[in-house]
Amino acid sequence: MSSPDLVVTGVGHAGPPCDSSGYLKVRKQRKFMGLQDELAVVAAGRALESAGLPGPLGARAGLFLAVGYIPFEQSDIDLLLAGSLTDGRFSMERFSTDGYASVNPLLTFRCLSNMPAYHVSVNFDLQGPYFVTYPGAGQFYQALEEAAAAIRGGRIDVALVGGVAHQDNFLVRHHFRRLEPSEDRRVDSAGILVLEAASRAGPRVRGRLLRWTIDYRAVDPFEESPSPVEIGADGAMGPASLPVALAQRPSGRFRHELRSRDGFVASSEWELA
Amino acid sequence: MRRQVGVTGMGVVTPIGCSLAAFRANLLSGVSGAGPITTFDPAQLPTRIAAEVRWEGPILRDRKITFALEAASQALLGSGRPRGRGGLSLGIGLELFSMDDLAETRRPGFVPPHSRRERLGFLQTPSDLCVSLISKRHELAHPPMTHVSACAAGTDAIGAAFRRVAEGRADWMLAGGTDSMVNPLGVAGFCRIGATTTANEDPRRASRPFDRRRDGFLLGEGAAILVLEPVEAARARGAPVLAEVAGYGCSFDAHGISEPHPEGRGALQAMTRALDDAEIAPGAVDAINAHGTSTPKNDPVETLAIKKLLGARAKDVPVYATKSMIGHLISAAGAVEAVAAVECMRAGIVHPTINLDEPDPDCDLDYVPHRAREQAQRVVLSNSFGFGGQNACIVLRRTGA
Repeated sequence: MSSPDLVVTGVGHAGPPCDSSGYLKVRKQRKFMGLQDELAVVAAGRALESAGLPGPLGARAGLFLAVGYIPFEQSDIDLLLAGSLTDGRFSMERFSTDGYASVNPLLTFRCLSNMPAYHVSVNFDLQGPYFVTYPGAGQFYQALEEAAAAIRGGRIDVALVGGVAHQDNFLVRHHFRRLEPSEDRRVDSAGILVLEAASRAGPRVRGRLLRWTIDYRAVDPFEESPSPVEIGADGAMGPASLPVALAQRPSGRFRHELRSRDGFVASSEWELA
Repeated sequence: MRRQVGVTGMGVVTPIGCSLAAFRANLLSGVSGAGPITTFDPAQLPTRIAAEVRWEGPILRDRKITFALEAASQALLGSGRPRGRGGLSLGIGLELFSMDDLAETRRPGFVPPHSRRERLGFLQTPSDLCVSLISKRHELAHPPMTHVSACAAGTDAIGAAFRRVAEGRADWMLAGGTDSMVNPLGVAGFCRIGATTTANEDPRRASRPFDRRRDGFLLGEGAAILVLEPVEAARARGAPVLAEVAGYGCSFDAHGISEPHPEGRGALQAMTRALDDAEIAPGAVDAINAHGTSTPKNDPVETLAIKKLLGARAKDVPVYATKSMIGHLISAAGAVEAVAAVECMRAGIVHPTINLDEPDPDCDLDYVPHRAREQAQRVVLSNSFGFGGQNACIVLRRTGA
């Protein structure tokens, strides 16, 4: 698809260590936030600053976000398990009393896939629409496609399009290590682009999305993987790989290609001012 | 030029039936699918009841994948395969991990499973595996869309698929949701934040949307998938058009992490956007399938938002809660409730909200308590409001209306 009508007005990225306090409306809310939430808020804040869009975004701004696999830290796993074993085996009775009570109730909020979107919406007063998807770099392309359709359909003026993944933790490492070939290097990161219609952006244009393609070949994940590893700007960043690459690139033309484990074949061309 | 989008097939796996016919019959009769949890021993957890699927066939360790595969096959069987390039849009729940497997990893001499299939099912099954399996089984050409907007995901999935078909970005789509959190970690997680009912002694009466004595939602499980395609294409191939998806809207509350906006701002925005998208005035709405969770916070705010939407007509429009019978299916809720709404429209009957014995004074609409009611419906809204302030609404229209 060619897209001369869509321009990038802002880019932002974030990696650990990450402190979102400066972007929070209510700092006490930080206790609800996991790393993926903080990464998303900081990347969104930086993207909006670079787009020159301060203040509440309101009802004409949308969020289109690809989120990585559910994170769960080793320390939380250890705590949960310690209170749930009898003679080395899982005991539902112990779990029901000791294990479950030992876990911080806020943990639920910190690992849910929709929470990065919540924290971005509440701190920048973004009132939708949205598309919250998961879990990889291919899905970032779908977020981009949905954002473009929303702008072109006149439903929004501004789209925050991004990817965020907290991957350096017990559960996500477990997932990638069991694949063939296994992958140990997973990076925690977030990248957000601010996308607008060219007619609205005026002198704030920082780049253009020239064209993109997105294709697919369905695979049975029990039987095969179409690509031995993710190929992208940095596959280890999962859904954040492309927006982070754009945020780190100073200027010029940039072409991104992706072949993902789950059958996505996508590419895009950008021109950065 | 936007295309008119029809529903030409529906498949369901629910606590009150694993076929469309069984689901419809129980829905219209007000049958509850709740009972004591049987898939594991809930021991001393505060919540020990749920609305489980009574599944008798072989099942994958991750139940929601089996449910979704079955619902997709049912839907396509009913519809016949549409022409052209198809896709999938699915709301899906979290990949929780197995506590048994976790304990196993700590035992001396533990060896991980050898085969790829066993490895992908051990400890946890990544949820995106489900969309790959459905896409492969039905040879879908478009990349699958996965929605993780929590309790709004099923409705978002239908809405996004509707847009793709309406705008000509796909010839046809499978759309719906699947979830099962009826497992130790899922139930305990909801207990830990006080979200679920603890009315363990009387499971069938535990889910009571809009009732004064509601004390949290009843966790359910299941899946529903709909076939969406252009009405014109469906008629050309002689496929049944069961209903039309006429509009979709979504919004963020941008308010509280676990409580809705007190004025119902986000819910109202989602409903208004859906109606605007359909180019239908609020005055034409004949019924609303409510999110109706049976939680203290949701039900009055949803009521308030509906009053703001419908104005003086609010008390004349039936608002019914499918969750009173099947509980809260989380990421599948909106999809199963869309099927319920279509079945009610087709039957000319509004299904009951069961267990509504003593209405909450702040919930003062016509919720169709206890018994189904004959009523023609041309335009119905189906609401889903997610934890974290994501709100979604679709507009369904009776075919030919």
